Amino acid sequence: MNTRRHALKSVAAATGLSALGLPFTTWAQSGELVVAAAPPITGVFAFAGVGLNMGVNDYCEWRNEAKGGVMGRKLRYVSEDSGYKMDQAMAVFKKLMAAHKPPVFYGDSTAWAKAASVEVSQLGTTLTCSPSFASDLADPDKVPYYFMAGPTYASMCAILLEYINSQAKGGTKPTVALVYSDTEFGRDPIEATKERAKKMGLNVVQEIVTKPGSVDVSAEVAKLRRARPDYVIFHGYVLAPIPEFIRQMREAGMTSTQFMGTIWSMDKSTAEAMGPVGDGWMGVMPYRYSHDTKDAPAMVTMNQFAQKRRPDIKYVSTFYTHGWLVGSIFAEVMERVLKANKPLTGPNMKAALQTMTDWDSGGISGLPVNLKGHQIATGRIYRFDANAKLFEPASGWIKTA
Amino acid sequence: MRIGDFRASYAHDESLLITRVQRSWMIGFVGLLLIFPWVGGSYFTYLACLTGIHVIAAMGLNIVTGFAGQISLGHAAFMGVGCYTVAWLDKWGVPFYITIPLGGVVSALIGMLVGIPSLRIKGLYLAVATLAAQFILMFVFREWDSVTGGVRGVNIAPAQLWGWVINTDKDIYYLIMLCAGMLLLGARNLLRTHVGRSFIAIRDKDISAEVLGIDLFRGKLMAFALGSFYAGVAGGLMGYFYRAITPEHFTFTLSIFYLAAIIVGGLGTVLGTILGAAFMTLVPEVLRSVVTLLTLWAPNAMELLSPMREMVFGALIIAFLIFEPHGLVEMWRRARRFFHLWPFKT
Repeated sequence: MNTRRHALKSVAAATGLSALGLPFTTWAQSGELVVAAAPPITGVFAFAGVGLNMGVNDYCEWRNEAKGGVMGRKLRYVSEDSGYKMDQAMAVFKKLMAAHKPPVFYGDSTAWAKAASVEVSQLGTTLTCSPSFASDLADPDKVPYYFMAGPTYASMCAILLEYINSQAKGGTKPTVALVYSDTEFGRDPIEATKERAKKMGLNVVQEIVTKPGSVDVSAEVAKLRRARPDYVIFHGYVLAPIPEFIRQMREAGMTSTQFMGTIWSMDKSTAEAMGPVGDGWMGVMPYRYSHDTKDAPAMVTMNQFAQKRRPDIKYVSTFYTHGWLVGSIFAEVMERVLKANKPLTGPNMKAALQTMTDWDSGGISGLPVNLKGHQIATGRIYRFDANAKLFEPASGWIKTA
Repeated sequence: MRIGDFRASYAHDESLLITRVQRSWMIGFVGLLLIFPWVGGSYFTYLACLTGIHVIAAMGLNIVTGFAGQISLGHAAFMGVGCYTVAWLDKWGVPFYITIPLGGVVSALIGMLVGIPSLRIKGLYLAVATLAAQFILMFVFREWDSVTGGVRGVNIAPAQLWGWVINTDKDIYYLIMLCAGMLLLGARNLLRTHVGRSFIAIRDKDISAEVLGIDLFRGKLMAFALGSFYAGVAGGLMGYFYRAITPEHFTFTLSIFYLAAIIVGGLGTVLGTILGAAFMTLVPEVLRSVVTLLTLWAPNAMELLSPMREMVFGALIIAFLIFEPHGLVEMWRRARRFFHLWPFKT
């Protein structure tokens, strides 16, 4: 009883001190490996942030239960909401770094990743990741301690182009239109995509920039009607204004045009929110959907644990899957470093990450994972079936780098 | 109980800190600021730096809005002007002690330009004009790739002073606090000059001020210039602080943040600016810490209570506006009066 009381007091003291931002490193020293995070549980990215947070947390719990942690050291997940605000995310980063000295940290955005990379490079103690797939960040030289658990936005668009190119009939290549938001997120892959399309001989017949949540898109739709593209790629949005574009274009008789998106507009919940126009919505997804468990033991494990840990959740989102994969990459990197009897430093973890050139993710990604370039440049095209309310594969797995 | 101040000379009467008690408190406060990074740890030092930057920027807005009565909704964009000026000059190897003031000067010039309509329009109309400036400048930040790096932003090399690289929070803390100290002192003294008094006259009744011989156009432009100068300096410091800047740092939300800070703190006062900026920066942190503490008893508290945190923060601001419209500074004054008169009057 005394031991239990003592342990409870320690937990309370540790959490209390940590909550106040005071340094408390006893746990980390005693053998636990801290996985720290500043996920966006509130704010405009909360639709994904809650799932991301659960995913990383649950992977750590599962790993402790199933495998006793990493090399006998338990994982401990500590996180605080960033609100998807850069200054708050940095505050959480500083707080958790000071309190727990975590070897790995999961942030919340491109802005955070860029700002934190300066300090992370200076410290050389921590490997970082975040939901950002900004192309600038997959640069092992400039951002040495950052990786992304998926393809960059440019790679996602490249996967879409590969698919579009494969749909060419006879000598005629399909035409493409790019519609993107006037944000860093939206503009990120555009130049690279246009360049790649040119190399592949695909004609980009229209390029449209809109505000992120733009409502009145009739002028833009008119441009698309004139251009009559075979494929329209949307990037830099989650939902609006995509459904409005599709609705107006369908009403204008453009029934053969195929609409496609990238990762953040490809969750089942997003496609369902589109309503009837969501039927046939396509896009690139770097992971399997949770219902797709064939030849994917990690997906089965993940689903079972999610059911056990969170029985109220009816559907395991792609955001959760992303978090789970991030947790498993963190664990794998730490395991490789510890197995080599090396300390968990930034350079050692970066080196370990770059040895993951043929890593088996258990089927979360359909191809062996290659993280040498600090991104997983693979994905698959899925199509939403509104009747079944599921995304179904429309292609095999595509690798771009 | 202290019953009054006896001022025996003009010099004494003009001093900012009248009594020995005030001077002692100030010495203690400055001493605390000096040792803070050594005892506060990196998290609190980070928060102190952030608060310092917000205090400088909010002081600028308080000069424009609180002192001179001109509403500005483009303050964050003026910060951006200062920050990108610093980033651009930094590329050419210009040292920080030149880039930061120059950032302020460029921002002041832009601020004056935006302030020109203030002679013809006021109130909500001026607010809309400054709002337009916010969006125009944001457009420039996103599109002028060669200077601002476009939507991808720019990196800024750490500030250096004679070989000393200012690249940690602890180091830059002193730079921020030095700038904040000088600028707050400047703002405090501004109120005692004819310029500061002309601002207040313009705020209280511009027609009367003009009848008294105050040049309205000059006064309003000067208010905008000074306020924007403060914003520019704050933006420059923010650049050196984060060293990776994108246009997303200077959104309209930040302008509203500063407006809320000066209203919550107290319009037209230096102390109110400090209290308001500190409140707006630190209260969300405190609320998040409370949520983290609650995870001790409820593991899912973060997911459940994090959205509540935003509501509590909003409710706190509304409560202040209802129960203390003069801001935190008035609460501070009441507390001081209580202790001055204690135990004879409570």
